[in-house]
Amino acid sequence: MRDDGPRDAKQAVTGDSGDGGEKKDDEKKEEDPVVAAVNEIKGAQTLLERAATLFDARYTLRVLRSISSLRRKITPEILAQIVNDYYPTGQESAEYILSTIGQSDSRMEIDNNNDGSKRPTEVLPEYDVYLHLLVQVFLLDQKEYQRGAEFSTKLVEKVHKLNRRTLDALASKVYFYYARFHELLGCPHLVSIRPQLLASLRTATLRKDIDLQATLITLLLRNYLATSDVQQAEQLVQKTKFPESAPNNLIARCNYYLGKIKAIQLEYTGALQELTSATRKAPQSAAAVGFLQAAHKLKIVVELLMGDIPDRSIFREPRLAKALHPYFLLVRAVRVGELDAFFEALNTNAAVFKKDGLYSLVMRLRQNVIKTGIRMMSLTYSRISLRDICVRLGLESEESAEYVVAKAIRDGVIDATINHEKGYMQSKENIDVYATQLPQEQFHERIAFCMALHNDSVKAMRFPMNQHRLELKNAQEARERERELAKEIQDGEIDEDEAGGDFEGL
Amino acid sequence: MADVRQLHQSLQASVQARDYTTAAQTMSQLKLALLEHNALIPSSEVPIKVLEAAREILETGALVSIHLHDHEAFSRYYAQLQPFYADSELNKSPSRNQNKIIGLYLLLLLTKQDISEFHTVLELLEGYDDDVHVRYPVMLERWLMEGSYDKVWQATKSSHVPSDEYGLFTETLIESIRDEIATCSEKAYPSLPIQNAKQLLFLDSEGAVVKFVQSRNGWEVKDSVIYFSQEEADNTALSSLNVIDNTIRYAQELETIV
Repeated sequence: MRDDGPRDAKQAVTGDSGDGGEKKDDEKKEEDPVVAAVNEIKGAQTLLERAATLFDARYTLRVLRSISSLRRKITPEILAQIVNDYYPTGQESAEYILSTIGQSDSRMEIDNNNDGSKRPTEVLPEYDVYLHLLVQVFLLDQKEYQRGAEFSTKLVEKVHKLNRRTLDALASKVYFYYARFHELLGCPHLVSIRPQLLASLRTATLRKDIDLQATLITLLLRNYLATSDVQQAEQLVQKTKFPESAPNNLIARCNYYLGKIKAIQLEYTGALQELTSATRKAPQSAAAVGFLQAAHKLKIVVELLMGDIPDRSIFREPRLAKALHPYFLLVRAVRVGELDAFFEALNTNAAVFKKDGLYSLVMRLRQNVIKTGIRMMSLTYSRISLRDICVRLGLESEESAEYVVAKAIRDGVIDATINHEKGYMQSKENIDVYATQLPQEQFHERIAFCMALHNDSVKAMRFPMNQHRLELKNAQEARERERELAKEIQDGEIDEDEAGGDFEGL
Repeated sequence: MADVRQLHQSLQASVQARDYTTAAQTMSQLKLALLEHNALIPSSEVPIKVLEAAREILETGALVSIHLHDHEAFSRYYAQLQPFYADSELNKSPSRNQNKIIGLYLLLLLTKQDISEFHTVLELLEGYDDDVHVRYPVMLERWLMEGSYDKVWQATKSSHVPSDEYGLFTETLIESIRDEIATCSEKAYPSLPIQNAKQLLFLDSEGAVVKFVQSRNGWEVKDSVIYFSQEEADNTALSSLNVIDNTIRYAQELETIV
């Protein structure tokens, strides 16, 4: 079964499989890209059929992967041809697809061309959904959002009713585009799809449809966060359990949304954890640059809020450098602890921060700037008057400065005391970091990460089906051999020395 | 609808007369009346005029509960008002009191020290910088977070408060900042003269300071100077337990690997 894999893939690419070959002569007259696209879509049919009969999701995934390269080539003509070839005459969904892409009148004409080819009498739901999916992608690329939304709504209703495990991966794509269309249409539409998504999530959970479950949770989170309904998003997270075995991309996406929710709710440590795994798990390819940028932006702000300074190398990475530049200025201002520089960076790039939806988070940084400023001063001077602190931080009054310093001491930002009568801050002697628990905590963090990584990789390993039975058999044989060996030893036919090696394995 | 209008008028009358207890009683009757008209939750079936009236009534109820210091009731009114504020039809004629109610809710969260909820609500608002009612709690939060307690103290004076409902939180706010200042002082000063403490803690007299000192643990007054007990946290014992805990866990993990 497994050996068939690569050959199928080749067939799919060249389109040499099954009935594709029969029609080859007709199609040769047309231009090459069209033929290639048509053949690719037909190849997908074979793969999907195999996926449906063998219950192997990998074939479906391969088909879905090819969509991204296919979407550039799709034209209404190609879709119309495929639809006309595939569906039995009078099929409802065929008419519907054709009218959606504006090709309804070409039906008859093409019909005549293909009279000889055999038509399946029954429509395979997987392929049916796949073709609909192509139409969705096509409409999205044509920026036909309104029509796309209507089409997707009908499609989602249809998919929702079907209960086939082999459809799972396709269905999640369908929902993805469904949500995307409504998002592009703006606010009232965005909110209107929530009930459908929630209902589908319920069904998906009951059916243990992991793909769809993960997709829907991320879509819902995105939907809630788009309208800043953080509370609802948080409740969703609490009430649902994100499937652990979901695809990596979805996990990364979910991590990102969780990170955002936690950042808004001031749980910076948790947020940073989520965001770190989001940036690590996200695909590093060009297609995911947008996601990586967004995740890094949020991560930088969260790191700053925690009082850490993000790694400088992030800002040098060519794919991120440009998008992260406003954040770079921000980091620089926070690092030196100058309120003026901070506000300058904030005001010049306010539009960017607002667009990224991080403005309110960035606003919170003000107190961090002050804290860093105090820390710098405490490190530089062993004694400094409150008046000077006030001037350097740009605070309004000496009293403010006194309270701010007192709070910084309480929060553990600096180690110092204030002398109120004489109005100065006295820093305590620097303590040796290596005498504290800090290094140990750092080590622990790293070790814990390595352990988690190891465990995750063990869990992620894939084993061929039914292989364990073979091993069991082997083990059985091995055990029998051992027994024989032991028996022979008992009988004294073999020397102790000779058998020694075997026994070590026991 | 006539009954609602009549009750609404008597509600307004009692609010104007500052008779909030009567107003609260009228409110419970009004809510029943609204329920009969199906107007407690906005829906497209109910005429827009009725919904606007319902929104106004609920807002009045929220303000009344603030005056009665009934914070739970206020939170309930706030939750009830949410769908009204989110309704796109109703937003064509936005309520004048909307920002006031939201601002008060933010202030309530601030006094309850529920900062994460505070930011969650804040995230929902856009362009809040322009509105005086929302800006007030936002600025308070910022000052509290950075530690400019003197600014908070000034802001709670009646002349700086955007409306009288906000003034009702003043006492709780001052109490909570005094508490904050006290915990900060413990760490920041080895000792503090009572005269200075009076200023720092915004207390009126030295007698009040002495009273306050008695309410705190580990504070002592000697020759009109407050001494704070310097407690050094004993970390070593805790850390050894930690180390043992961690090491055992490493051993366990290693065992599963090998």
